[in-house]
Amino acid sequence: MLDLDPAFEALKTFDYGMDRHVLDSIDGAAVTTRNDPAARKDLESRLVAVLPSTAPHDAKDFVCRVLRIVGTADAVPALEALLADADISHMARYALERIPDPKAGQALERQLRAVSGPLKIGIIGSLGTRGEGVSSLRPLLLDPDEAVARAAAIALGHIGSADASKALSATKPTPALAAIFANASLECGEKLLKAGHAKEAKAAYQALLRGTPSPIVRAAAERGLKASEPA
Amino acid sequence: MTDKKSSPNPLQTNRRDFLKAAGLASTALALPAFVPASVLGRGAAVPPSERIIVGGIGLGNQGGSDFGSFLGRQQVQYVAVCDVRKNVRDGKKGQVDQKYNSKDCVAYNDFRELLAREDINAVHVATPDHWHTLVVTEACRRGKDVFCQKPETLTLREGPIMIEHARRYDRIVSGGSQRVLEDYRGQLSQAWGGKYGKALAINVITNNLSHTCNLPAEAVPEGFDWEMWLGPAPWAPFNSKRCDGNFSTVENSWRSYWDYSGGEITDWGAHHFGGATLVVDVRDLQPQEVIYHPAEGGHKPHLEFVYPNGIRITHCKPGKQNMEVDSDEKNPIAAKAIPAYKGQGSIIGDFLYSVRSHEKPFRDIEQAVNTMALCHLGTIAYRLQRSLKWDAARQTFPGDAEANRLTDRARRQPWQV
Repeated sequence: MLDLDPAFEALKTFDYGMDRHVLDSIDGAAVTTRNDPAARKDLESRLVAVLPSTAPHDAKDFVCRVLRIVGTADAVPALEALLADADISHMARYALERIPDPKAGQALERQLRAVSGPLKIGIIGSLGTRGEGVSSLRPLLLDPDEAVARAAAIALGHIGSADASKALSATKPTPALAAIFANASLECGEKLLKAGHAKEAKAAYQALLRGTPSPIVRAAAERGLKASEPA
Repeated sequence: MTDKKSSPNPLQTNRRDFLKAAGLASTALALPAFVPASVLGRGAAVPPSERIIVGGIGLGNQGGSDFGSFLGRQQVQYVAVCDVRKNVRDGKKGQVDQKYNSKDCVAYNDFRELLAREDINAVHVATPDHWHTLVVTEACRRGKDVFCQKPETLTLREGPIMIEHARRYDRIVSGGSQRVLEDYRGQLSQAWGGKYGKALAINVITNNLSHTCNLPAEAVPEGFDWEMWLGPAPWAPFNSKRCDGNFSTVENSWRSYWDYSGGEITDWGAHHFGGATLVVDVRDLQPQEVIYHPAEGGHKPHLEFVYPNGIRITHCKPGKQNMEVDSDEKNPIAAKAIPAYKGQGSIIGDFLYSVRSHEKPFRDIEQAVNTMALCHLGTIAYRLQRSLKWDAARQTFPGDAEANRLTDRARRQPWQV
């Protein structure tokens, strides 16, 4: 059994410029504890304890990287608490985005309402990657912050569900966002078609063609529409 | 120049503007007594109106080399450069302006501004790997054809996203390894020539994976947009060795560091695995299984990638050389024609040919992504120190939540692919 005490002691003051190898045993434990639930739980607990501490940014950065691999629902509250902190929010998402437990997505959705600007955009991106949060993302398509609306469109495109597609088709974007909204709708069409939902895919393409798409979008939508027709 | 078939962004150059820039025309297009043959399209030169309008994004070590290749071609009109280092982009602009005897080349810090130009037909991309997908997908949405350096992707999830964008917008997107075709001719002849029987397996050797970077903070140099260099990667303080574009994959180069690169398994893996998939002809496939062989008898761990058709690609198999082919000599096969570039002059010539013809390039992005899948699957197997099953159709590790965590990584706000 690896002795992780020296590494965790080093972690308390770990900062840029220090020898990264002092933490190798923790990296190793992320793999070797895979089949030892008690050791894995202990590892996670010790990592999570660093997050609210006064350890430097680099230490918390490292912790989030390991939690990306070993984090469970137990790590979610401590990670959620960092989402509104501009210095470490991204690394909290670095872990949360990859934790499969639904509690991770729920934490992201909760903080979506609490933050604004770039932090909000980051959380939107993570929800899109997880494929979650359509009901929270839908109203953001009309957010007065165009960057937020843009992020919401991209995320809904990645989710690619019928509800996501309808939300996009039902929203008239500002001219500056037309291309990204169209891209998201096209992505939804492709995902729906691949999932066997030709009718919903066709609706997405038809909605695009009813507007005034750019030539490149029109061509893409026409190809998509053709693909969604019965053979 | 005729419009490209099925493309809404045909190659167009305003010849009047070109002549004006060359100092050869007034609004009445009065020409001096002597007109260079190149302008009239004589000899081997391509008339300006038929040139492919090109911009370059990421112009460091490799990007600078690609820049020279593109700029030196008669069928290219180079109009824009982009790099987050002012000295680099200004230097390249100077070279372009000198070639054309004009001041028309525009230098950009932000790739989005370059890609928003409607006159540009194609771009070449050689940013660090963590930027590739963001730039290529934006380029596709803007109707540009793209030559993207290898390694084309940083994560497994990025591959399908790149392919989707290329197909959605009917763009030519070429990956960047010239070594895939050019470096392994002997093995290609052996395997494709039918002389040595059916290829069963091939071995690839690369060394280290990338690792985290903990270099200390340094002052950001004047004219270096560090925020933009980092982009979607985690924030870290500037250090000249962190972002150095030298070709080391061990230390003191971005190629060494996890946030920007996969290390040698991607940096050279893109070449060797790419060549291997061509030699044993699995370019259109991804493996269904990665078998991890732990360290034993003084040998490091090694991998076996198993393809649906039974072909195996091994990584660092003890006793095997790089690109060593195992064949079934008792099972002869008919010789088949080895794929070749179209156009003139290596992989870039092939790309430019594809831009004109709208045929898929030799290193179509889908085949490049299939190569990168080997690199990323291998990385995950090594990091987790175990075997993996891979569902290429769904792009997931079936029933393997731990491995699925590693198919992508959260991007720093405000960046999203």
